[in-house]
Amino acid sequence: MNLLDQFFVIVAVALISIAMLRNIKVNSIVSTLWYVLMVVMLARMSSVAYNADTITSAFSIELLGFRMYWKFTALSWFFSIITVVSALASSLFMSGDWGKQYRQQGGNYGLLQLALILNVVSMLILLASGDLLSLFIGWEFVSWASFLMMVLMPSKTAKKAAVKYVIYAIVGAMALLAALAMVYASSGSLDFTQITDAFIQMTDNMKFGFVLLFFIGFAIKMGLLPFHLWQAVAYAETPGPGAAFLGAISSRMGLFTILVVIVQFIGLGNLEEMNIALPYLNMKSLLAWIAALTTIIPTYIALQQHDAKRLLAWHGVGQGGYMLLGIMMYDSIGSAGGLMHVLNHASYQAALFLTVVAVVYRTGTSDLNKLGGLVTQMPLTFLVMLIGIIGLAGLPPMNGFVSKWMVYRSLLVNGEPLLFVAAVLGTLGTILSVYKLIHNTFLGQLRVEHQQVREVPWSMMVPMLGLSVIVFITGFMPGLILPWIASIQETIGLPVVTYHLGGIEYAKGGLDMIWVSGILFYGFGVGALIFYFLGGKAKRIHQYDNYAGGHFLSSEVKYHYSNNFYPGLMHLIGNWYRGSFKWMENVIVSALSFVSKLFENMYRSRQPVMLLVLVAVVALFSIYKNYSGAGS
Amino acid sequence: MSFVEIISELVLMPLIAFVVGLMMVLMMRKISARLQRRIGPPFFQPIYDIVKLYGKDTQVSHGLIHDIGIVMAVGGYIGAEILLPVPGMEGIADKGGIITLSYFLMIPSLGMALGVGQCANPNGSIGISRALTAMLAYDIPFIIVVFGAAWHYESTSLIGMIEYQQANAWGIIEMPFLAIAGLFALQGMLGKQPFEIYIAPAEIATGPMVEMSGKYMGGLFVMQTFQLYTAGVLYASLFLGGGESWLDLLPKAFLVVAIPMSIAFLFPRYKTEDLIRILWKWPVMLALIGLAFIL
Repeated sequence: MNLLDQFFVIVAVALISIAMLRNIKVNSIVSTLWYVLMVVMLARMSSVAYNADTITSAFSIELLGFRMYWKFTALSWFFSIITVVSALASSLFMSGDWGKQYRQQGGNYGLLQLALILNVVSMLILLASGDLLSLFIGWEFVSWASFLMMVLMPSKTAKKAAVKYVIYAIVGAMALLAALAMVYASSGSLDFTQITDAFIQMTDNMKFGFVLLFFIGFAIKMGLLPFHLWQAVAYAETPGPGAAFLGAISSRMGLFTILVVIVQFIGLGNLEEMNIALPYLNMKSLLAWIAALTTIIPTYIALQQHDAKRLLAWHGVGQGGYMLLGIMMYDSIGSAGGLMHVLNHASYQAALFLTVVAVVYRTGTSDLNKLGGLVTQMPLTFLVMLIGIIGLAGLPPMNGFVSKWMVYRSLLVNGEPLLFVAAVLGTLGTILSVYKLIHNTFLGQLRVEHQQVREVPWSMMVPMLGLSVIVFITGFMPGLILPWIASIQETIGLPVVTYHLGGIEYAKGGLDMIWVSGILFYGFGVGALIFYFLGGKAKRIHQYDNYAGGHFLSSEVKYHYSNNFYPGLMHLIGNWYRGSFKWMENVIVSALSFVSKLFENMYRSRQPVMLLVLVAVVALFSIYKNYSGAGS
Repeated sequence: MSFVEIISELVLMPLIAFVVGLMMVLMMRKISARLQRRIGPPFFQPIYDIVKLYGKDTQVSHGLIHDIGIVMAVGGYIGAEILLPVPGMEGIADKGGIITLSYFLMIPSLGMALGVGQCANPNGSIGISRALTAMLAYDIPFIIVVFGAAWHYESTSLIGMIEYQQANAWGIIEMPFLAIAGLFALQGMLGKQPFEIYIAPAEIATGPMVEMSGKYMGGLFVMQTFQLYTAGVLYASLFLGGGESWLDLLPKAFLVVAIPMSIAFLFPRYKTEDLIRILWKWPVMLALIGLAFIL
């Protein structure tokens, strides 16, 4: 048994033990320990990540002439470590007081842990897939495992969102299946390498269909435009830590498959040769534009949300665009940025979701219009959220800046001004939106009903702090992550990035985060010196001791600005895209239901016998045509 | 680069920026005074102001984040000063670049926003909402200008850009459209009329500054000196060939800062949505035309 086999045995035993254990306390401790053990096993396999090795599992299945097998490459390892660490943080978070409260409110704690481990297992199966068939099976596992997680909330919206998700997922799976059939038809095998061969033999039109089928399948999972509508609500309406896990990594499975199928085996060079309309628009730039629009539109939808979880979930959709955009630039620095953003996004997104869940744990609401001023009550949670939003907004010195910087640098080098503006537009929208998040939750006036709120217990604080340490360290020293990225680039055939501990080496302007963070903290230090050592001593005053244009403030007076936080902006852009995608979705839904009603009516009210006869005649005719054709 | 050099740059660059910034504040006040047919303040007035603000008896704090917000606002600009190459001191500036610098310039906004948020005054929050919206508005043309400059000079390092201009021609000659769009963005960045809706004293009681007293206001004053210096030197480095010596650089920087102030009084104050509309229309159009010429 090699390391990969051992790893999967551990994963399987973990799944069984979590499913079997009925005792809540034991279950919590054991499941967290399993995730720790998985991290240890992945660490033992780290030669995959550092040397671009491959470990192939000894286990394989022969089925109808197909051989399904599983292997770990640098890419699988990278996504696996993110998955397992996110799961560890979520599991630890829910293992203590949060789980207790969840049970008191009628939630099924054991089922939640089971849903989490099922998600992890299915993702690992997908990530380890060695051929298209095992990839498809893993893909389906992931879809249904996420569905299980989504239906755990008793609310009606959650159920509706989950069903919507499943419909999208089935459409995606169908598209994927069709693409698989195309590969099989042309080569009689479902090996990854057959994708390349099949692609080369195709005519131009078939190539478009082929790439689009794969892309639609993967884009639905990742929530890329125009398939972005299902994701945010479905993720937001999941029990707290589950939302953190799904938001951190689940939809990135779509990116993983894009990397394997489209980048590695179809090849971005081939996409570049597929001209669509003008010499300016080829398949690769089309995907880049989809990515850019995915950064913009969901970000500005996030800006309009007034529920903290939904706001974050929409940003999760938007940030996916940066990852794809970087990869589509097809150079060392852009693809490194895109890949690194997967890890960076997972770390801050999980941290941010957990802070919101912590706020919900104490106050019972994530409605941004019903919170405010919690910083004095929950200072550490505030700190984690601050680190998280700096990461999400992509400001130095957190890790989000590093990956976004690389994407920008690549857009600059490649001379893509419009994509560059699109990327920056996304970042600016994110800054506005995350400020609204932190302001409406933690700043401003503290409500009377929240004056007894305390900091969350340590079982919840530790994973949040741990994640924010990751956000900071990987921002301060990106060189810790970049060897993994370089191995991935080597594995999937992208140009390899040159790096050092502090960042990127690049002709005419690299990045050294140790210097950048150092300068920034030096600036803060001097700022603190100027502030604290010069001038008189400041006096702390109560929040009601405030300028109110001559009025006296008391606990009766709501003196807080939160609803419709950016009225000027919304007045201008609020109508630009409102509902246009929703409208499109509704058009498709009603068209389909119309057709289905039509057939149902015909079948039920008209003569079923006649219909059967009609079908039989058509079938007989086609058989006759077939045989007579074969005869001549 | 030796240790002594690093330390001296770390200390000197913010210090110079502060002194120059103070003089820019004085110049601005003088310009506005002359435009309104007043004499204007004496030479040391900016320093008197800072001393007065820091020395006040009543210093009101709304909590730790209020303090940290001011520290971040000032500190972010100090970081930015160190990344701005100036004659004789460009060792550390080499470590950053125009993209990093553009992002450093957003940190003070975030810091101030956090500090104001903690004050629990809706006037302040409304001001911040408007200020961030304005940032979204002026950063779009600004970022196109940055892209154009970086593309034209084939470098993201400001030092490389200055070297190119000193060897060839100034950016303003080779990229006039981008230079004009940059000036537009500068007007918004400095928050001068017509883009000063977020202060709007009569409407939201000076917005972000509503709860700032004593050294909090003093901190914002210091921030303003840095902001003016950054804007002047950055624009001079992008389009006016930087400076071979301080005597070369400073007049350019002062000139750049004088322009927004001189035309500010010509305009009324725009509403937030009109501010976005105008900044997304004219400067963006100019900048895109400019880009089309150099791409």
